[in-house]
This record gives sequence, C-alpha cells and structure tokens, in this order.
Amino acid sequence: MQQNTFSIAEVEKAIKDGRTLLIAGEEALLQALPQGKWVGGTIPYFVSPDKGGEVNKEQVFVTDISEVAASITVGVYTQDTLGKVYTDEDGCGFSFIIVPAASEVHASFAVNGPNYKDFGSRPLIGWVSGVHLDDLGKVTPKVFDGITGKSFEQEAVVMHVMLPAGKSVDVGIINLFEQGEGDVLTFATDGFAATEVMVNGVKENFADYITKNNLDTKLPLVADYYGAMVNISFQSVEPGGEVKLYAPVFSGIRYKHAQAVSNYGEAFSDQLKKNSPDANSVAFSCNCILNYLYSGLEGNKTDPFVGPVTFGEIAYQLLNQTLVYLEVHDN
Amino acid sequence: MSVPPKNNPIWADIVTGRKTFTLKFLAAKILLGRVVRTVSASPTAANVNDAVAQLHAVYEKNAGSPSVKEDLKVIFG
Repeated sequence: MQQNTFSIAEVEKAIKDGRTLLIAGEEALLQALPQGKWVGGTIPYFVSPDKGGEVNKEQVFVTDISEVAASITVGVYTQDTLGKVYTDEDGCGFSFIIVPAASEVHASFAVNGPNYKDFGSRPLIGWVSGVHLDDLGKVTPKVFDGITGKSFEQEAVVMHVMLPAGKSVDVGIINLFEQGEGDVLTFATDGFAATEVMVNGVKENFADYITKNNLDTKLPLVADYYGAMVNISFQSVEPGGEVKLYAPVFSGIRYKHAQAVSNYGEAFSDQLKKNSPDANSVAFSCNCILNYLYSGLEGNKTDPFVGPVTFGEIAYQLLNQTLVYLEVHDN
Repeated sequence: MSVPPKNNPIWADIVTGRKTFTLKFLAAKILLGRVVRTVSASPTAANVNDAVAQLHAVYEKNAGSPSVKEDLKVIFG
C-alpha cells in the first residue's frame, strides 16, 4: 500500500492511470487535480514516511488503495441523507468518509452516527477535514468528490469500496488515554457543549467543576465502550458558562477525566509500540491534530502509521485525540 | 466458525451484562457500550431482543473480518 506525499504532477498521473486514491491537502492543490477515482479533504498537516509530522502546502498526502478496491462508488451526503451510509451500496467491503469540520453534516454525524440504520454493518473509517491553524475562522474546510471534481463545505463525501475476492478489512484505534480514578461525569443531553454536568449524580456547573478541580483540559473525557476507550476533547471553557467540546457527549454514557500522562509524547509512543499491527497490513491511518500538537509530532515519526493529521477521526463514530487505522487481510 | 443464531442464550447474556468478554471487534464494542447501558436501565424482553438483534447483525454482516472470527472463538469457544 502506498502512502506518501506527492507533487500535483505525480498525483495527476496516478489519477489518469486509473488509480483509486484517498487524498489530503490544501484546497488549491485539490482543486487542481483532474477528475478520477479519488476523494479528498483539506488539511496541510501530515505524518509522512520520510519526514514524520510536517506542514506541507506544496504537496498532497496520497493513500493509494487500488490493490484493495475492486470497484468503487462515491456518494455525497447531506446531514439528512448520511443516515444511509451503512445501507447504500449493499455488499461493499468498507466505506471511507471525509466530513468538513464545523459543518452541519459534521455536527449531525457526531450526534446521530451511532444510531444510523445498520450501524457497524460494514467498516466505516475516515476523518474530519480542516485548515491550517492560522486560518481558523478565515478559511472553510472542504471535501472533494474526485469523480465530479466538485468540492463541498456542508456535505460529507463517502467512497464505498468493493473488495477483491479473498480480502477482508478491520478498523482499529490507538488511544493513549484511559479513564482516571476521579468522579463519574454524566450529561442530561447529547451535544458538543455542556453547561451542566452530573458529578457522581449531583448537578454542577461544568465549567466551575473544571476550574475548581484544576482539570487539565489537554486530557480528554474518556468513556469506556465495552473496553474501547472513546475520548471527548475539550475545546474551550468559559468560566461560569459553557464548556465546548470537539465531539459530543451522550446522555447515558459515563465519562471520567483521563488519567494524567507524565509525558504525552512518550505515552503516545508507548501505545504505538504496544498496539501496532503488522505494518504491511495497514492500508490507511490518520491521527488527531491535538495529538500532533500535544505530542510534538512535527518532525517526529509514528511508524508504521502515516497519513493526514485531522480535526476529528472516524471509526464508525466520531472520535477525538485518537489514531485510527484500516487493516487489510488476506482471508 | 459461523455466527451462532440469535436464539443462542449467550447473546442475551452479553447484552444484559451477565457475561462479559474481552472483545476485539471495534464496531461491536462501540455498540455494546450503548446497548448494555440501555438494557441495564430497562431490561425488558423487547429491549433485550432488540439489543441481541443489533449485536448479532453486526457480527453476521462482518463475518469475514479477522477480529470477528477471534471474538466468536472467545465468546462461543
């Protein structure tokens, strides 16, 4: 599986050769690509095999999945149609999704994704597109449907991939966080923001609770989904007001603030070593912009994982501060 | 191994929390993270049956996945 940064000229040739590609890069670069079998999303941050973490506005990051794509279809979904993502294209081996950050479809997928019809009936993996951090609020994240060459700000693009005979895939995650020993936190409603929290069953102002307990907001809330740790990262805390999050909390789910890690970079490296699958089986991976920033990934490698650095990761549902990957196996 | 039918009682044992297993298949873990709590809050026959149907479907539709095969061995031996 080929995953690396390439010039536009190189990618143009691959597209014209009929390769099936997942592409990440600056908007102007993606706009310059010819129509073909690809989907893309905007982001200038990558972890590349040669340089490790980098900001790259001259090249795009390409994952060539031609070897595992017997055929593909590409769909563009609104917040009203994305609920069909598991039921469209019956028989496909997996679906790859890119969602623009801060869009209607991002908010809708985050909250409603776990309840979509036939949830989990096929692997769903992908990422949330973004922008350079200096451009936050100035430039809108986009996704691209390479078949038509069109870009979208409020829709998700999904490549449904039919696998060749004898292949199967699995989705995995790597998360360095575990639940700490502290309070059990629950929420009355689903959403990306919360004013109130139930602390061991007692209602409190969430922002005041964070301030009073001096919680490190670099560490996420963590929910235990039958052994899979799922993070909710903090975006901002307004004293006495709202706490904004990068993924929604759900009512009925019990969260705890993550156990502190003494050295974020080392802890992440340890998790990579403990959980790494066979490097040759990894077809795609992406990692969170918060891991990139807090782990100091610029110039550092996360072998065997490379790929775009994202504003959210998708492994069936929206995740935060998590590395997600797709493995391909021979049956 | 093939996916045991929905009426195998172990499926209900899982969604009610009577039996727990260390699983690998991520979609099942995420699903169970929700449905075990739903069933625990209201363990009606309808809720148990619905949870079993969802869990069984996720395993059946991903039967070729290596992590599903490993889970089935862990759960059903």
